[in-house]
Amino acid sequence: MGKLPSTILRRPSLAGVGILPSTAPNLSHTLLPSPSRFTPTTPTTTTTTTRPGAGGQVRHATFVPRSRRPYQFTQLVQLSDGSTFTVRTTSPQALYKSAKDSRNHMLWQPSEKSLRNVEVDEAGKLAAFRERYGTAWDLGGAAAPLKPEEVAAADAAAAAATASNKGGEGEAGKTAAAQAQAQAQAPAAAAEDPFDSLVDLISAYATDDQSIKGGLSAKDQARKDKGGKKK
Amino acid sequence: MASLRGLSRPARSLPLSQLSRQTYIASSIRCSSSQADAAAPAIQDLENSTLTTLQLGPEEKKEFRPWKRAADRKHALPSGRYQYHPPKYNRGPLHPIQSPPSSDPIARDFVPGPFNVPRLKQTYHSTIASDLMTLAYSHTPPGTPAKVAAARLRGWDGSSPYHKNRALRGPRGNPVLPLVERDMSFNRIPEIQEITLACYAPAGIKDPDHLLVARSVLLGLTGTTPEMTKTRANVAQWGIKIGDRAGVKTTIYGNAAYEFLDRCVHLVFPRIKDWKGIQATTGDSSGNLSWGFTPDEMKLFPEVEVNYWMYPAKMVPGCRVFVKTTATSDRQARLLLQSFGVPFYGEVRN
Repeated sequence: MGKLPSTILRRPSLAGVGILPSTAPNLSHTLLPSPSRFTPTTPTTTTTTTRPGAGGQVRHATFVPRSRRPYQFTQLVQLSDGSTFTVRTTSPQALYKSAKDSRNHMLWQPSEKSLRNVEVDEAGKLAAFRERYGTAWDLGGAAAPLKPEEVAAADAAAAAATASNKGGEGEAGKTAAAQAQAQAQAPAAAAEDPFDSLVDLISAYATDDQSIKGGLSAKDQARKDKGGKKK
Repeated sequence: MASLRGLSRPARSLPLSQLSRQTYIASSIRCSSSQADAAAPAIQDLENSTLTTLQLGPEEKKEFRPWKRAADRKHALPSGRYQYHPPKYNRGPLHPIQSPPSSDPIARDFVPGPFNVPRLKQTYHSTIASDLMTLAYSHTPPGTPAKVAAARLRGWDGSSPYHKNRALRGPRGNPVLPLVERDMSFNRIPEIQEITLACYAPAGIKDPDHLLVARSVLLGLTGTTPEMTKTRANVAQWGIKIGDRAGVKTTIYGNAAYEFLDRCVHLVFPRIKDWKGIQATTGDSSGNLSWGFTPDEMKLFPEVEVNYWMYPAKMVPGCRVFVKTTATSDRQARLLLQSFGVPFYGEVRN
């Protein structure tokens, strides 16, 4: 019966005392100049590359182990962007195509737009559903439409501001009027898009780890796109 | 001797003295190639091939009698199956039998290779090393007096006559003297020294098959035969006692280390779910960083994935990875690994 390949592993309990690791920095391989076969090897080579054998160390002879290593194949690795390179590996596959790697991961490619978690909604069906049924988080008291009393109060404030402006205070009066109008319009804006304010709330949470995840959240992106179109 | 390889087999078996008489042979032969050489001496300079010059003349052919040599030989040659086997033991530099150097293919400790240049190593030598050196450069005007480092070891006050020639004491409170961070310079750029993988499989104490699986996994990942580790503590609650075989470890150097890091960074880390990066607090404050893989993450390695069905699923162990660099501080090592593409998260410690 032929000898089995040396890399076939045995059960550890049955293995001998001196299980030789096949790892050693092969210094003599790279650093030392290779002397001819018949010149005496230097003692440094002997000490670095040899280990005591199964019989243990004896003074007059040092065992030179044969390294036990598995067969290694040259494998072509193809990353998801199509770039290839060769590696030495124990895997017998000739070509390894990776589907997910650092070339299409947000952590390594933070500026890649196609990796962003953007909602694909070309037909607008998701938006239509949301418009009709709302979302989960505006089920509990959403912002109610502006009441007529409030609208009247805002108008009154604006009128007062304009009156003071006419009274001759100039620029200060103008700014006051603008502020009053803004105050009046702000709740109105909130009323027309209650979803928006909640988005702010959510995105405020998201900003913390934005540097890690990279890019914007889907809602933020949608908002941004919407704003861009309006402009 | 290298030029001998280009010759045909009968010409190779000629004695060397005959081969060296090339000028004489060339003049005695009339063949088309030698005629062409005579016609165009300019080409002769370019054409420096032994095939064109060396041909056997009639006299040489008469002299070439291998059967005669064989008949005259006093001792039988070793049989065709004879091979030189290097000695199994090194018996010291003065012994008449010496083992060949490990670079010789017939040596017992010969390891073939390298078969490729790892791309991470290539990147390191072409860009990363010079980038790190440039980034870490701090200018000191010439003529600046060198800083005198404070003494890190405590001396003795000399109150006793026995203090004379006594060795210095270590720092107060901490018996271990931490490594001093050295600035990066052209000859001190951090690089990867070795990577150690260690699996701790305490279930292997009861059932050694766990250790076998751990060994196979590490063997597949690194291409080296791992060695067994033993527990170093007695803990009755965990069912371990000193000397139990409860794990495996292996260390890879050089090209293998670069390729393993490359696989980790570009193939394995991106496939881990919800992975933020490596905790930036890792490190032993002397430039060696480490992280771990859970059993679930081990199967993301292409080598494990390719024959994952061969491993008993519940026996696949996790493993810890220790990257040993030549950096003298954690921040330098982190800089190195970041340039290799290892992401870190969280606060840094040192």
